[in-house]
Amino acid sequence: MTETVTFYIDGQAYQVAKGTNLVDAAKMHDIDIPVFCYHPKLKPVGMCRMCLVELGSLSVNRETGEVERDEHGEPVFRWFPRLQTACTQVVTDGLAVRTTTEAVVQGRNSILEFLLTSHPLDCPVCDKGGECPLQNLTMGYGPGESRFLIDDKIRLDKHVPLGELIYLDRERCIQCARCTRFCDEIVGDDVLAFHERGRRLQIVTISDPPFDTKFSGNTTDICPVGALTTADFRFGARPWELQEEATICPHCPVGCNLSAGTRLDRDAGGKKIIKRIMPRQNEWVNEIWICDKGRFGHHHTRAEGRLEQPMLKQNGAWVPIDWPAAYDLVAAKLRQYGDSLGVLAGPSLSNEDLWELRKLAGLVASEPKLGVWPAAMTGGDLVAQVGVGSGTMLRAVGPETAILVIASDFEEEAPIWWLQVKQAADRGAAVVVANARPTKLDRYARAVVRYRYGEAVSVLNGFAAQALKDKSLTGKLSESRVAGLSQLRAALKGVKPAFGDAGRMLLSAENLIIFAGGEGLSVAQHRELMQAAANLLILTGRAGRANSGLVAVWPGANMQGAYDLGYSAEATQALLDTPPRMWIIGAANPVAEDARAARAITGAEFVVATSLFMTPTSEAADLVLPRQSFAEREGTFTNGMRRVQRFYTVQGIIGDSLPDWKIFAAIGERLNGPKARISAGAVMKDITAHVPAYAQASYPRLAQVERQFPLVGGDDLYYGGTAYFNLSGLGLAIPPVAEDGSAQLEVRPVTVDAPASTDADLSLIPVRVLYDRDVLFEPSRLMHHRVPPPSVELNQADAERLGIADGDRVAVEGDGYQITATARVDGRAPAGYALLPVRLSSTPAPTTPAACTVRKIGE
Amino acid sequence: MEHILLRDLDIPDIRNFDVYVANGGYEGLKKAVREHTPEEVIQIVLESNLRGRGGAGFPTGRKWSFIPKDAPIKYVVVNADESEPGTFKDRQILEKNPHQLIEGAMIAAYAIQATAVYIYCRGEFWDLAHALEEEIEAARQANLVGDDVLGSGWNCPVYVHLGAGAYICGEESALLNSLQGLLGQPRVRPPFPAQPGGGLYYAPTVVNNVETLANVPWIILNGAAAYKAIGTPESSGVKIFCLSGHVARPGNYELPFGITFRELIFEHGGGIPNGKKLKAILPSGASGPVLPATGEVLDAPLTYESVAALGSTLGSASFILMDEDTDMVWAAAKMTHFFKHESCGKCTPCREGTYWLERIYRRLLRGEGTMRDLELLKSIPRNMQGGVTLCALGEFAANPVLSTVQHFYAEYEEYVRHAEATREARQAAEQMHDYTLGEAGELPEAVGQGGVR
Repeated sequence: MTETVTFYIDGQAYQVAKGTNLVDAAKMHDIDIPVFCYHPKLKPVGMCRMCLVELGSLSVNRETGEVERDEHGEPVFRWFPRLQTACTQVVTDGLAVRTTTEAVVQGRNSILEFLLTSHPLDCPVCDKGGECPLQNLTMGYGPGESRFLIDDKIRLDKHVPLGELIYLDRERCIQCARCTRFCDEIVGDDVLAFHERGRRLQIVTISDPPFDTKFSGNTTDICPVGALTTADFRFGARPWELQEEATICPHCPVGCNLSAGTRLDRDAGGKKIIKRIMPRQNEWVNEIWICDKGRFGHHHTRAEGRLEQPMLKQNGAWVPIDWPAAYDLVAAKLRQYGDSLGVLAGPSLSNEDLWELRKLAGLVASEPKLGVWPAAMTGGDLVAQVGVGSGTMLRAVGPETAILVIASDFEEEAPIWWLQVKQAADRGAAVVVANARPTKLDRYARAVVRYRYGEAVSVLNGFAAQALKDKSLTGKLSESRVAGLSQLRAALKGVKPAFGDAGRMLLSAENLIIFAGGEGLSVAQHRELMQAAANLLILTGRAGRANSGLVAVWPGANMQGAYDLGYSAEATQALLDTPPRMWIIGAANPVAEDARAARAITGAEFVVATSLFMTPTSEAADLVLPRQSFAEREGTFTNGMRRVQRFYTVQGIIGDSLPDWKIFAAIGERLNGPKARISAGAVMKDITAHVPAYAQASYPRLAQVERQFPLVGGDDLYYGGTAYFNLSGLGLAIPPVAEDGSAQLEVRPVTVDAPASTDADLSLIPVRVLYDRDVLFEPSRLMHHRVPPPSVELNQADAERLGIADGDRVAVEGDGYQITATARVDGRAPAGYALLPVRLSSTPAPTTPAACTVRKIGE
Repeated sequence: MEHILLRDLDIPDIRNFDVYVANGGYEGLKKAVREHTPEEVIQIVLESNLRGRGGAGFPTGRKWSFIPKDAPIKYVVVNADESEPGTFKDRQILEKNPHQLIEGAMIAAYAIQATAVYIYCRGEFWDLAHALEEEIEAARQANLVGDDVLGSGWNCPVYVHLGAGAYICGEESALLNSLQGLLGQPRVRPPFPAQPGGGLYYAPTVVNNVETLANVPWIILNGAAAYKAIGTPESSGVKIFCLSGHVARPGNYELPFGITFRELIFEHGGGIPNGKKLKAILPSGASGPVLPATGEVLDAPLTYESVAALGSTLGSASFILMDEDTDMVWAAAKMTHFFKHESCGKCTPCREGTYWLERIYRRLLRGEGTMRDLELLKSIPRNMQGGVTLCALGEFAANPVLSTVQHFYAEYEEYVRHAEATREARQAAEQMHDYTLGEAGELPEAVGQGGVR
């Protein structure tokens, strides 16, 4: 434990951990030391000088070592003769600070006067107006009137695009460097910098393309003035008109907590719509950061083309029908095809949707096949066994924790986890990256492990074998609770420890977190990878502990929830192997994404799909039901670390759309199922009663909040951005089975498939990219410049052999699919492999590795 | 007496390696390395009471003693970013006696067991920096610099780095940033350069001025006591005084501390040309307060302590002299413009304050000043002082304004009086213009309605 020390603010004694920043320490005791440049997530720079205080220390008699006291018995302090910045001071024992003396008041007053001299007086049209620290502190501490002549004001550019998403107003900038420090310290992207000096000191972007980072929007949150604004919200509304609603990002497995600024909007016909998305503080999940996809990818909630009523295909044409007719039709079809029903659940269905869908399928099929989509990764059941333990907090891990990221292009697949792992590496955590190709996390890794696609399992087996050989690397393991241990040990005997340095780094730390992606693996291979990861964690005694465990980097927001509720990718594979006669497809677009799925679905007799838009999958369906986006309804997502989190109704309903759970429950009623629940919360109540792991996840429990540090939201005058404040719930982390000391665990030897022969053809490896053409993302038009055109990455040698140059148009073909794309020859693809970013082309391609040929085609 | 620092005045070709060696050059380094432990060298310099000649006057030996012994990597950085207006002493050493600097830097490096020496030259010293590189190469070939110095097993290369022409990079932490390829802005201290995390590439670093280091070989050769015997007990040794402005013989004068302003200006500098009277003195370039040339000032000895007692600073001892015809408002405006131009912009009071002050001076000089502006000139600079800025530049920038307002307020008032007179005259002229228009047939509205203007 860190030592607690006593320090004094304005004569009052307080306790705080030694080494705490003075501004933070005061804040913890609800005492304000106003700041502009200081931010508790960034290193102090002492630039703005707003936090000037008088500093001193307890006066101690040198000879006796006793604190000197005055005639009233009060301790005597010695004071520095000059003002000091509080932000550059850490608390030590006996430190004293005065925050209200005349000198301090005068100091703050003059700093504000200086800051305001050339600051424009455009608060009435400034996006920050109303939640602006400069505005607030001016009211709180500033001079009442200006002594500066307006003619003396410096005039600078007011519309400087820093890339397509962020605009800079140079007149408003107060040179606090929060934005540049965020990019340098937190993200590590060298994209913003200061240019020039003195009063000409200005922010510029130094990257090409400009402001090239996936986290640019965060700079607008931490900007203490209205200098940085987003293209999305700029001049869109005034902060005080907005109602902030709590929600959860529907895009990836991190589950970032969001605050949606909403208002009744003229442009939406008076409906309540989202005007902007900001992060909502949850130190267990996203802290106060979100990626640009989460911030700007909300336009699907109200984009043109949203389905507004159920549509039935009659003689090849779509006709609208009403809901009761639609329910009746589906119920009738389910009675007809109940034995041959396939269910595909999309990645952004909430737990409530999944639960009602499962119940519906259970009404007509004895063993319903519940598939997930995309079906590229599996092993959610293993995550439930050996996932991260209670109290896991990525933002707090350091040298005591090792992190392995395997088979994932982490920044593309889970940006905020990437950000947190990168910072953990900065704090001294041993980060090891294992992948068949270079990824951006490599630069922060202490060791990088390269394997050939398909051999990811052997890396983990190698680590496990190493742990068996070197007992010092193994933690406490109670052998009696683990089944299959002897078989595993026997199987690992023959395995040669590989990548010894990386293994030692991973296993010599106290904790081990494994982030497992699915790149380059079939579903069967991925199960082996997840099992190998579980084996390693159990074998080394790391399972079931805080800051240790297995996390799947799912291709969607709620796939862990789907596994927890009985869905799996194996079921999907079985369905595709023997296609059913009827499909229910919930919020997924397999027809556009996968050729094999497209064949299986178009060949069925009746397909019903819930969807936001007319997608290739809804086009292929017989009945399309308009679902509500995450913004129009309540629900819960379970993130990749198995934290169940609530999202709330944020905006008005589009058309007659309904939440998926309500649709499925209403159909169930017509099949003599139980009466539909009236709210998502009631559905969750059912889940808590039937799914033991979710027993505690009731809505009131999920809505609980606690005081979070750093305190950056709330009603202080200087951190601004009230949207940060989390009033709506931190969610509930579900402990893994392994955490229960009496629970039985199981290990099993895993097999390594020999990699496919690559003599003649290339192997196609689907890879995930953040900015794709997913249904939830494509409607956000302002992001289109970031979405790359369909492309395929080739190795230099392969490209030469095939006569293909970077930028050529090529056809990528294989069993049952053909797409055209632009060839990229940039050194990332290993020889023998073609990397195909998924969800970029409108033609379906494989979603798991497959054989392919690539040839150049004419212009 | 022979010069200690400006030896080129005694031996014209001393910049050549051979000539320097033939005149006892590098004997100090040899003596230090062969006869003394690093701790002894620090002790000698400490006892000599050599103080930093860059302006702050911090005891050099103490600075060296702060370097942690066990740090694996340590640096000596030579501050050759001589940018203070009216300061040109380091330039003469670099240009005419470079080996004495190299030798001094190497002794400092030996004392802290540095792993490298960097000489940071201001961008305008392009020629000097390139010539210096050749001299370093000569020393390297003689095994005085580089690998296995003098067979001691200690390796210490010397590098020259050119800045890009920024006054602020003479501030040691901004210098270190610039040397690292970062923006030339001062750092937050602590950690100080001598501490881990505060120096060059965040390793413990000694930053010394050129003139400071040039003293070191002599001290090693002649002993601490001999050096301390020169000058005064607090301000020991010799100092190069730069004389410029209204003076008959401008230039560098190496003299012991303790001579008076009067001796320096009138005996050595030859007094004020054209029979004019001396009006004011800037004792430390633009950064220290201006001193009026009173008898009390002229008879004060030149030591750190006595100049401080006069309310100014000795700083780098760059005396810019101003005769009775000098317009002090204009002079203060020039200095304010300089500081506005050179402010790095990192911290608020300096960035905004220098800009604001410059605007006010611009108005004053244009003949548009008001009494309100004079009140601002008294108050704004005060808000830039008292620890509110990150480095000393903000404090310096306030000095010329505050001191000229204090000592030469009448001149400011004269500007405003003139401006007001002009304003009144202009208003009268404008009124005349209105009446003229009226007489020509277009009556002002009020007049047309029977009103009286």
